[in-house]
Amino acid sequence: MDTSKYKALYLQETNEHLSGIEKGLLAIEKGSVQSTDLDSLFRHYHSIKGMSASMGYDSIMKLSHAQEDLLSLLRSNKLALTIEIAAALLYCLDALKNLVKRVEEDLPLDVDISTFVNRLKSAIEGRPPEIRAEPAPITELKLSNVMKVEGKVFDDLLAIVGDLFMTLSSFKSLSHNSRSIEFKDSVYLLGKSLNGIHHNILSARMLPIEDLTENLPRVVRDISKQSGKNVELKIEGADLSLDRAILESLGSPMVHIIRNAVDHGIEPLSDRIHAGKSPEGNITVRAFAKKDKVIVEVADDGKGIDCARVREKAIKGGLPEGRVRAMSDREAMMLVCLPGLSTSDSVTDTSGRGVGMDVVKDTIEGIGGTLEIDSVPGKGTKITLDLPRTTSIIKTLLIWVEGEPFLIPLSKIERVAEVGREDISGGVLGHNGAEVPVVPLAGLLGIEEGTVRPLYTIIIVENGKGAQGNDGLIGLRVDDFGDEMEAYIKPLVPPMSRLWGVTGIAVMGDGRPVFLLDLPQIISRAASQAF
Amino acid sequence: MYKRVVIADDAAFFRTALRDILSKGGFEVIGEAVNGAEALEKVQALRPDIVILDVVMPVKNGLEAAKEISLLKLPLKIVMCTSLGYEPIVEEAMKSGACAYIIKPLSEAKVLDTLNGLGGAHGL
Repeated sequence: MDTSKYKALYLQETNEHLSGIEKGLLAIEKGSVQSTDLDSLFRHYHSIKGMSASMGYDSIMKLSHAQEDLLSLLRSNKLALTIEIAAALLYCLDALKNLVKRVEEDLPLDVDISTFVNRLKSAIEGRPPEIRAEPAPITELKLSNVMKVEGKVFDDLLAIVGDLFMTLSSFKSLSHNSRSIEFKDSVYLLGKSLNGIHHNILSARMLPIEDLTENLPRVVRDISKQSGKNVELKIEGADLSLDRAILESLGSPMVHIIRNAVDHGIEPLSDRIHAGKSPEGNITVRAFAKKDKVIVEVADDGKGIDCARVREKAIKGGLPEGRVRAMSDREAMMLVCLPGLSTSDSVTDTSGRGVGMDVVKDTIEGIGGTLEIDSVPGKGTKITLDLPRTTSIIKTLLIWVEGEPFLIPLSKIERVAEVGREDISGGVLGHNGAEVPVVPLAGLLGIEEGTVRPLYTIIIVENGKGAQGNDGLIGLRVDDFGDEMEAYIKPLVPPMSRLWGVTGIAVMGDGRPVFLLDLPQIISRAASQAF
Repeated sequence: MYKRVVIADDAAFFRTALRDILSKGGFEVIGEAVNGAEALEKVQALRPDIVILDVVMPVKNGLEAAKEISLLKLPLKIVMCTSLGYEPIVEEAMKSGACAYIIKPLSEAKVLDTLNGLGGAHGL
C-alpha cells in the first residue's frame, strides 16, 4: 500500500499510544498495577507494532514487538512484574520515542535496536542488564502540539475579529481620502493580517460532519424500532468539514428530517412488498461540496409527499384557495414547512411531516442555509439543505434605501445593475436575454418612498424557488449601493428577532448599527408581488 | 457478492487504510467501530454483508465480538484481521463463527482476494 498518505495518522496515533505507555509504566513503577493496566499497555504496544509493520518501519515494529511479547508474558502470569522489568520497558520506551521522532523528521530508521531488545531479554530472564543504563533522565518539559480549547474561545475570537473588520472598514474609507502612502500601505497590511487571523480561526472551528452523523445509525435504529420498520441508513461524504456552530445547529433538524422519513416516508412492510420495493426502507444522507457551500441531502425511498393532500390541508388551514391551486407542485410541497401543517392523519403522531418542519426550515435559514423538498409519489422524498461552510463573518454589500443602510450577503447577489427609470417601467429588467421581475425594496420593507429618481440600482438576486436559469432571479430596486464589507453578523435577540425581513445586525466602523436583510423572506414576499 | 462492510479496529490508521483498499475494490464501508462492543451495535443497526474484526481491541476484543455476532444468526460473513503471529487465536475465532482472516500488515491484493473469495449470493 502507498504508505505516505497514512503517515500523519500513524504519527498521531503512535504518539497517543506512546503517552499511554508512559502513563502505564509510571504507574507500574509506583507499584499500583492491575491486570486491566497490563491489558491496555499490551494493546498500546500491539497497535504500534501493527501500524509500524504496515508502514514498513522495521526497527519500530521489532522493538515494539519485543515489548509486546514481554507484556504478553506478564498478562498470562508467566512472568512476575519486577522493578527491573519496568525499568527495562521505560528504557525501551525512550528508544521508541526517538525512533518515532525520526519518522516525524524523515530521518532513516536503520538504527541498531539490539541493545534494547537484549535489555528486555535480560529483564525477562532475571539477569542484570548487560548495560546498566537507566533511561536517560528527562531534563526538558515538552508540550504536545495539539491543544484542547473550549469551543467558546473561538466564538469570542471570531466576534473580536468581526469588530476589527468593521474598524478596518473605517480605516479603509479614511485611507481613500488620505494622501499618505504610508497610511494606505499600513491599512493594506492590517487588512492582510486580519484576513490571515480570520482564516486561521475559521479553520480551527471546522469539524467533520462525521462528528454529527456518527450517532445517526443509532437514531435510525431507535426510530425504526419504534415504528416497527426495517430501515437501512447510508451515509456519504461525512468527512467534509463545517463550522462547529453550523454543525451544532444541524443536529436537531437532521433528527427531525430522518424521523419524518422513517415515520411517514418509508411504508409499512406489506405496502413496500406490494409496490415491488425492497423490504427494508432506505435512507441516504449524502454530503458534498458545491462551491463554497456544503449540500446535505436526506433521501428516502418511501411513498413520497401527496401534493393534493398538502394543498387540501393548506386550504383547510386557512390559506386562500386560489393561491394554493395556482402553486406548482414544487411550491405546494414547501407548504409542509408552514407552522401546524401536517399531512399525517394519525393522532398518536410524534413527527407528522409538517409538525416541526417549520422549525427545521427556520433553523436552517437561521444559519444562512436554505431547505428544499423534492418528492416523487411512490418513489420517495429528498430534503436538500444548502449550507454555508463557515459562519458569522460574511461578505456583504452595503445598499441604501431612502437613506437607510442595509447589508445583503454577497453570495446571493447575481449582479448589480444601474438603470434608468424607463428601463424598468414595465416592472421587469432585461438580463441575459430574459426578463427579471423588479420589485422596490422600500415597499417590501414598509419604508415610504420619497422622490422619484432618474436612476436606480437593481440588485439581482437568486430566487431560491426557481429551477434553473433566469426563472430563479429577482431584481430588488434600491437607491444606491456602497462598499463590499466583511461583516460580523450578530444574531437578533427578542424582541428584535421578530422583525420582518432582517436576520442579523452588524456594527459599522463608525458605531452605526446596520441590519442584514433576510433574503429568503424578502424574496418570497417579492415573488408573491411580482407574479 | 457481499459488498457492504463494517470495519472494527481501534486504530484509525487501519480503519482508514482498510476503507481505502475496500473502496478501490468496489466494496462499500457503511460503518466503523473502535471496539468489539461498538462493532456488535453497528452490525445490528447497519446489517452489513461483511464485518471485519480486529482481534486486539479495548472494551470487547474481536474474538468475543465474533462469538456474539455469530450468535445473532445474521446473514453476514465475519472476517478476522490481526497481526502476524496470531494465527492460533484466529483459528479459534474460525471455530466460533469467523469464516476468513486477514493478516496485517495489510496488502491490497490480500485483503481484496480474501473478501472476494467469500463469494455467495446476496441474502444467504
